[in-house]
Amino acid sequence: MAVPAHAHTGSVAGGFVGGLEHPVFGPDHVVAMVAVGLWGAFLGPPAIYLLPVVFPLVMAFGGVLGILGVPLPGTEIGIAASAIVLGLMVATAARPPIWVAAVIVGAFAIFHGHSHGAELPPGADAIAFSAGFVIATGLLHLAGIAFGLLAHWPIGVIAVRTAGALITYAGLVFLSKLA
Amino acid sequence: MSARIGIALVFLLAPVAALAHAPFSGAGGFYGGLLHPWFVPAHLMAIVATAAVIAQQGSPWNWSMHWQAPTAFAIGLAAGFIAVAGAYAPELSGEAVLAVAAIAGLLTALARPLRAILVVAISAASGAAVALDSPPDVITLREAIVIQLGTFCGAILLMAAALEGASRLRRDWQRIGIRILGSWIAASAVLVLALQLAK
Repeated sequence: MAVPAHAHTGSVAGGFVGGLEHPVFGPDHVVAMVAVGLWGAFLGPPAIYLLPVVFPLVMAFGGVLGILGVPLPGTEIGIAASAIVLGLMVATAARPPIWVAAVIVGAFAIFHGHSHGAELPPGADAIAFSAGFVIATGLLHLAGIAFGLLAHWPIGVIAVRTAGALITYAGLVFLSKLA
Repeated sequence: MSARIGIALVFLLAPVAALAHAPFSGAGGFYGGLLHPWFVPAHLMAIVATAAVIAQQGSPWNWSMHWQAPTAFAIGLAAGFIAVAGAYAPELSGEAVLAVAAIAGLLTALARPLRAILVVAISAASGAAVALDSPPDVITLREAIVIQLGTFCGAILLMAAALEGASRLRRDWQRIGIRILGSWIAASAVLVLALQLAK
């Protein structure tokens, strides 16, 4: 009996779920991703969509560096710093030019991408895994944007800036653990 | 009852035609080919991103763009299948699909007006790459043709569905959603491409 070849069979769903879980179970990644969305919503158009577009693209560049084994000094410090800086931007209601915001977000995306890139599983489900974790990253951005939209109301501005302060505090905790 | 069991055994024991990476266990023949572009993530990403690039280039009534590019996709697809039928088996066909997905995803994220020739070239490359990466894993020519026909139909249907869907998303927030989807596709494709080339 001829048996069909199934190089992708069964592993696609598992790889996708694994990729979805990957950023969600890293608190340092979660707070930074949410902060990107929060800041984007706080800045309004075009930042609200530009930052979530820039982040995954630059993150992929960082991921390529990680996959190729190009060392990036202070990766974990960079990830913790991303939470501190991005949280601070939200907490202080900073409104720099859009290109400055994109450069700040993009610079930190390289650290996050480098960290993820080294952990991409080789094999047939790598595509599903990477799609899963890119989508999870995007959904965390969207969660931040959804919360950040509260800034349309005065009480919401307080809530969003408080969230930014909490993210900064979380970043400081991550940084202290690295010391 | 015994006749039913006999028929079932015939189907179970009959040789099952398959693709090199079948979408489902047991999926073979025409329907296995039909489902292939829909359920192999790299092919899905490449075709959807190509459709998004085409859809971004004007209104649904921009006939020249909306017929030239899908026609180029179909021609690329057919040319790829003819090459596969001629025993041409490129080593980096999977990487080519990912490269097309990355380029089309990036162009979708940028959402800039493009020259028609560039869109047509990307569409043709997308079709050819998908076809070259879908070699039937069978021995007889008849089975191979049936599977390739299924894959051709599946890829055309996917392109038509994605193009129609993306063309209807005209509101600002919907266009932003397409750009974000493009950035996700580009990021995923670039990561896996790097992983495969690093092996």
